[in-house]
Amino acid sequence: MSEPEDLELEGLQRQLDDAFETTRPRAGFEDELWTRMQARRPAVTRLRDAWMGLLQGIREVPAVPLAAVAAVLVVVLGAGVLVYSGLGHGGAGSTAAGRESALQPAPLGAAGAYGRLPSPVLAPRTAGPNSVTAPTADYAGPVALTWTGKLGLNMSTAPVFRYQEPSSIDADQFATSLGAILVSRPAGFLGSYQTTDLSVRVRGTIQSPASEPTFILLPMASVGAIDAAGGPADLALVFLAEHSLAPSWQYTSAAVVSGDVSKVTLLRQFGVTGYGYANLVDGSGEPYGIEVDLKGGVPTAATGPLPLNLDSAPYPIISADEAVRSALASAPAGGAGIGVPTATLTTAELVYTLVVAGDHSFYEPSILFSGTFTVSGTKYVKRVLVPAVDPSQRSS
Amino acid sequence: MVADRPPFEDLYRAYLGRIYAYVRAQVASSADAEDITAQVFMNAYQAYARFEARNTTPAAWLFRIARNATLDHFRAHGRRERLRRTIEHQPVAEEDPSGVAEERIQYRALLGQVAQLPERQRDAISLRHSGLSFEEVGTLLKCSEDAAKMLYHRAVKALKEAVEKETA
Repeated sequence: MSEPEDLELEGLQRQLDDAFETTRPRAGFEDELWTRMQARRPAVTRLRDAWMGLLQGIREVPAVPLAAVAAVLVVVLGAGVLVYSGLGHGGAGSTAAGRESALQPAPLGAAGAYGRLPSPVLAPRTAGPNSVTAPTADYAGPVALTWTGKLGLNMSTAPVFRYQEPSSIDADQFATSLGAILVSRPAGFLGSYQTTDLSVRVRGTIQSPASEPTFILLPMASVGAIDAAGGPADLALVFLAEHSLAPSWQYTSAAVVSGDVSKVTLLRQFGVTGYGYANLVDGSGEPYGIEVDLKGGVPTAATGPLPLNLDSAPYPIISADEAVRSALASAPAGGAGIGVPTATLTTAELVYTLVVAGDHSFYEPSILFSGTFTVSGTKYVKRVLVPAVDPSQRSS
Repeated sequence: MVADRPPFEDLYRAYLGRIYAYVRAQVASSADAEDITAQVFMNAYQAYARFEARNTTPAAWLFRIARNATLDHFRAHGRRERLRRTIEHQPVAEEDPSGVAEERIQYRALLGQVAQLPERQRDAISLRHSGLSFEEVGTLLKCSEDAAKMLYHRAVKALKEAVEKETA
């Protein structure tokens, strides 16, 4: 066989590799089929799995006194049968966690399906100019705290969402859905891709500051103004929709406009039964989502969370009173002293924060308290993040 | 015994995409591929209690079920009709609208060419590029590892010629 022919065959084999790696069923098929399979399981199998799941759960918590196990056995068994019979939420065999769209409030069911969760924390805010919601500065020093607001939490559980870390194959599939082809795999990215009018990069989860898998679109010079009427938010949505990137999740939009330059952010929200929609916030408490930069109606960049399947599982959460106590307890011991300003926390809301945890990461509910105070004529904002998941379900 | 087997859901999540791609390379529409893939995992789920990890790999086991399900599909629907559609590039009726995204996949034409190869060549390419070793391909096609390699290389050459003929 001649050398050129060898090279041609190798090229064809590479194309076959790509073809098989990027051919996948439509979004949603995986979960639909799994649900159908669960529904067809015989009742005996479901009951057996319920027992297995229960026993496994008990094995994973060896420190629990036997008497306590016995006390909760009846309750858990009852719930387990319901869950695994398909009447309750989930029924996903060994994990008991069902898949949920972030748009839909999660129904209630067995708690703690993901085991004990790492706790979310706030990180000092480093940037300000790009903020779309908070024009004031953070104050990192010691602050005494008081609370005058009102917090209503009319539910005992909230869903925790989980995603599996995407692979380069997942990134390739995403790029293929945009019509982009792989160019390279630069360090720190799952892949770099290109279409005739877009440069696309995809990266995985970043540990610190925590950031979920993200896509970055950089339109090429040939991209013209978006052919649509409306403000920056409308133009951004049209641009995203043209590339099948309009968010499938609930969002609110915010825009910062300066001359002919604007930044539109579609702020991601998660549905919580009994509460409504809660904002996703970053390590500094700022809501975030997909960002689209525009200049004169022409998109110059877009970045946002990589579309991923999310599992969800309900977890017990603390009460409003407990949340307030935790927030106030976060102030330094001794309360207000000489030179220590006092911040009055006036607002509190349920939010979701990303907690990175290896192969699977979580979007966990928290209560974000905030208030402003003034020091030497400068107005500051004080934020306190209290993990909403009950401490018994947290590992840190 | 149970310890030898991962939870079925792990297998399902890990292999669904690969099984679908394998099936998709055999049949004319994504709707057919979904139906067959669903049948594969339904069958696998029912048979999982009898799966022995010592005797075969989960991949080889699942692809054997997928291959049988695909052959059953051809028997039921008529291979001649399938070939006619593929060769004439006729759209299959009632294609699921949500499959539109898949239509954008640039390698669809290449998989279409794979689908037109003789059965064993088509299987050799599909199984090999679905991640199976030549040993596993040989076991599934009831031939030796070396024969599987030979079959695969002949298949790739045949595919290359078909692609060149198509683009000429």
